[in-house]
This record gives sequence, C-alpha cells and structure tokens, in this order.
Amino acid sequence: MLSFLYARQSGLDDPVRLRRAESTRRVLSLELNYDRDVDRIHGNGINTLDIEVVEGRYMLSGGSDGVIVVYDLENSSRKPHYTCKAVCTVGRSSRYVHKFSVETVQWYPHDTGMFISSSFDKTVKVWDTETLKPAEEFQFDGNVYCHHMSTIARKHSLVAVGTKDPKVQLCDLKSGSRIHILQGHRGEILSVRWSPRYEHILATASTDSRVRVWDVRRASGSLFTLDQHNGDKSKASSEAANTAHNGRANGLCFTDDGLYLLTTGTDDRMRLWNSATGENTLVNYGKVVNESRKGLKFAVSRGCSPEFVFVPCGSSVAVYGLHSGEQITMLRGHYNNVDCCEFHSDNQELYSGGKDCNILAWVPVLRQPDIEDEGVNSAKGGTQAAVNPAFEDAWSSDED
Amino acid sequence: MNRKRALIANTFCLTKKRRCGGADKGETADIRSSLQYLMTLFSRKLFNDTLPPVVFKHQLYSLHNDKTLVDKLLNEFRESGELLMFQLGFDSEAFGLVFTEDYRAKVLQGEAGRDTRATVEKFLDKLIPTCSDLSFNKDKMLKEFLFTDSEITQLVKSGVLTVRDAGSWWLSIPNSGKFIKYFIKGRNAVLGMVKKSKYSEILKDELEGRRTPSQVKFQMKYHIHDIIGAELVECIQTTSGTLLRYVDGNINHPNTHLS
Repeated sequence: MLSFLYARQSGLDDPVRLRRAESTRRVLSLELNYDRDVDRIHGNGINTLDIEVVEGRYMLSGGSDGVIVVYDLENSSRKPHYTCKAVCTVGRSSRYVHKFSVETVQWYPHDTGMFISSSFDKTVKVWDTETLKPAEEFQFDGNVYCHHMSTIARKHSLVAVGTKDPKVQLCDLKSGSRIHILQGHRGEILSVRWSPRYEHILATASTDSRVRVWDVRRASGSLFTLDQHNGDKSKASSEAANTAHNGRANGLCFTDDGLYLLTTGTDDRMRLWNSATGENTLVNYGKVVNESRKGLKFAVSRGCSPEFVFVPCGSSVAVYGLHSGEQITMLRGHYNNVDCCEFHSDNQELYSGGKDCNILAWVPVLRQPDIEDEGVNSAKGGTQAAVNPAFEDAWSSDED
Repeated sequence: MNRKRALIANTFCLTKKRRCGGADKGETADIRSSLQYLMTLFSRKLFNDTLPPVVFKHQLYSLHNDKTLVDKLLNEFRESGELLMFQLGFDSEAFGLVFTEDYRAKVLQGEAGRDTRATVEKFLDKLIPTCSDLSFNKDKMLKEFLFTDSEITQLVKSGVLTVRDAGSWWLSIPNSGKFIKYFIKGRNAVLGMVKKSKYSEILKDELEGRRTPSQVKFQMKYHIHDIIGAELVECIQTTSGTLLRYVDGNINHPNTHLS
C-alpha cells in the first residue's frame, strides 16, 4: 500500500492505479457490518433496488407488496452505527400505489426528481418524487417484468419495457407515445438493458433462451443474437442452436465500460459476451444456481482492477471474478432467497434485498488498528484492564 | 488478532512468483497428467476391452481450480488432434473425452472382420487429423468428406455416428450405450449415498472407503470426481479433510431420479 502511495507521489504511477488497487482491496473485504442497517419498511420481499447515479445518496426499493421506498444512504450522524432511514414511501395507503408486486424501479438518470416503476399490475408509472404522485402511467396487456432507461442518453428519453408479450415496447417520456416496438423474440421478455456506452444499443433477454442486441434506430430486426457456441453448430442439439442459454435467459448486465455483457440463465450458467461482436468469451463460472422465474438482478463492480460480479444465488450473494471466472467468495447473511443486489461504486458497498424483507449492506472492513498489549496502556498512564477498580490506586500522585 | 483470512488482491501480493519460460508448459502438463490419471480410473475390464477409456470434461474441474484455463487447454488439445470430444446425449453439458489413438485402436479392433471396416477406416482417416467437430450434417458428409448415402448408413450401423436429427449426426463411441447406462446408474447411486448420510454430507475419504453398492460398476473415485466437477455436491474443506454435501438444487437436474 505504501509503495502505491509513494509511486503516485513521485509520479511513477498513474493516479488511477492507486484508486483501483484500493477499490479492489475494499471489495475483497466486503462483510456484513453490524454498524450499518437499512430501515425495514417492506412487509413482503424486496424485488428491486436502485441507487441514483448523480450523488449516490438515495436508494429506491420496490417490494412484492407494491410498496416503493426511498432511503437516504448518507451517514450524517457522527456515530459509526447508522441506520439508513426511509425518506419517503409510496405505501399501501397511497391512492396511486401499484396493486401488485413492483418488479423494477429506476431513478431518472439525470436527477432524483423523478423515478419510474413497473409492476405486475401491468402498468409502468412515472413518479414525481416531490409529491409522490404518478406524472404518467403506461398501461400494458401483460405483466411487466422489467424496464430500463438509458443512463447516458442525450438524444432520446426512451424507456424500454419487457412484458409478457414477445414484443419489446419503447415508451417515449417526452411525447408519451409507445408505438415503437421491437419484434423478434418468441417468448416473454425477462430483462432489458441499455448499453452504457452507446445510447441507441439495447439488449433484451427472453424465455425463448435468446438474448438479442438491438439498435433502436434500425427499422429491421435485431443487430445480432448471442450464440453460446459462437456459430459452431456442431456442439448443440439443433433446437438449441443460436441460443444464449439452454434454459430461460433471465438476467442481463453490462459492464461499466459497456464492452462486455453478462447474461444468466436457468440452465445455471452465467456467460460473458463481447458486446460489440456478440462473441461468447467462454469464461467458465461453473454452476451459478438460478431458479428465478422472473428476471434476475445482479451487479458488476466499477472502478476495480479485476472487476467482480455479484450474483444472488439462493440465499447468499456469490462474488465471481469477471474475466477469470473463479468464485471469490459467498456473502451469507440473508435468511431467505436474495432477489436483487446493487453496487455503490463510490463507497464500494453492496446492498442486497431478498424475500426476508431485509436490505443488507455489505461494507468493506477497515483495517483494524493492531492491539498492542502493555506498551500502549502504560504509555497512557491509564488503568490496566486487569485491575479491579476497587483496588485502583486513585489517591497517590504520579510524581512518586 | 483477526483470525479470518482476508482475501488479498493480486496487486498487493508483493512476492511475485518467478515465472520461468516453462510456466505455461507447466499448466499444460498438469492437465495432461490429470487426464491420464482419470483415464486410469476407468474400468476397462467391465466392457471386455471394447471401449477406449472415457473421461468427462467436468471431472477435470474437480482437479483444477481455473475452469476457463481447463477449457482453453482442452480446446488446444482438440485442435492439435490428440483428444476427441463427444456429446454423449444424456446431458447437454456433459462431454466425454477420449485420446485419439485409443479411440482409433478400439474402433478398428471392433470392426475387425466386419464388412463396414473399410468405410470406418476411411472416415477415421478423414476425420482425425483435421476435424474437431462434435456433429456432422448431411452437406458436410457428402461434400467435404465425399461419402455416399450408403456409406453413411454403414457408419451409423457401426456405431461411429449416432442420429441427432434428420440429416445430422453426432460423433459417437461404438458400444457406448452400456457405458452410459452404468454411468448414470452409478452416479445416481453415489449421490444417493451422499443424500442418505446424516445431514446429507459425508467426508470424501469415508465415501471412497465404503463398499460400493451393486449398481456402482465403476470405481468410486471416478464417480466422486464426476459429482464434484458437475457441482452436484458442494465441496467443503474441513479439518478432517474434504466434506461433500449434497446440493438441493439438483431437483431440477434432468438426470437425478433419486428414491
């Protein structure tokens, strides 16, 4: 560590290198921290979490009871023990609350004045955070599994929505229209993600085992379909040709630079793809247990040197090295299935929510100061812990 | 003192292992020797020596940590023509591996005296040095390999090709039906032994020492490498050795029919 600091100071190393090394060290020491709690508001499982991009201060959560809660993650009390309080809630008593479970929530990418939620009551609602009333509501024909809005978009404000319908619908926030559809899938759309690198590239995952990558400006179909065998048709049985997974493809996540795409499927596999060519990089993560009937929400770290993937696996969160495929550790702490996790890149913290209605915060363990035995205590001149206070010499002065 | 061993990133490991030029070769030699070790666990006598030793790709995962590296090196071996990979049909993820010389020897030995021998030999000659595919479709057979329809029928009859669907065939090992049957039965029996133990877990050494039930025809170690590599059991390091714990998620697995 000191060598990194010295190298940065003397100009031998790029400043980024020290930051990356320290971020990696912090992520590797993630642990359940007794000092950090998140307010328990949900009465039913938590399906989705989202931390805002601008400040990293506010977190949204959506639950199976239709309730949406906004938490403040910043520790403004000066004590180490801190509970992240809920700032406001769209509870069951609100007139506009979703009737069934909320599947996805996402902050408006440019500020926290607005957020969007989609739910099994077949609606997508655009909420005003100040008044907690929906400014816009989009109705659909089938359950809405997921939605996503591009975080880098400047030229459009499209929300991609994945529903039970095989057509991916794009809702425009500026005009309120939803006539733009993307056709090509043959099953329910379980997950949609915009690329963090190009604002027109969208990836969608569906129950027909296929993952498609689209450019929304193109009138004809998808750009390409991810093929797990990389075109080597001999490897699979003929029905499985051209599929991304041997079961339902239910999770998608781009890496922060947008160069790679991770997909998970119910065949218990996770695959890493080159997002420009659609080639399977063949990194073998082993068996990533996945029994989710809906989309799976997982996260990739940002700013670390070997990047990490955090995947909910049963009742724990598994951490894998992104390019090496090895399982680094399992974060255990939840009492029931974990449904979603979100990485806070500024503090290298992980928040995970699950069916046990808890949101757990995984915080890097700081280096504890070494406890020296006699030396420190006698230097302070204070009482030694072994001596009973009744026998303490409290009247003679130190000058003796 | 913090008794927990913290994970340390590679960048903080100041003592870099000195890598000599043969470091890569070290890894390849490792995989090759693991392959040969696993081949010795295969029971030849069970099949009266008609089958070449078959090993599964996932059995190598139980011996080596880095799965991606294992996959990469296996692909290199296949490209160079010393290893053949087969899709055995009972699980889309289970691939069988056979050394090419063994395969060739056993197939020709099985074909001795039969009228399909010439076609099979021609097929092996065309296939082995160049092609590392798992399956072939009609176009390829007719145009690239210049086989006629009747020759293809002969190849299927001799067991070198198995039907995949109309107009395409998997590469296969002749007489491997019995092998697959015994393997699946043995795998289920070993998994049953683990599941029936108290708390569904058992020490690996104890499992190896147990009397093999009648359904288990292969060596216990062969099956143990298989279930660890396929992640049907969880491997936990304890002070008394490796512990194998049955993983409940297997209920969705297509081939475990446990009583």
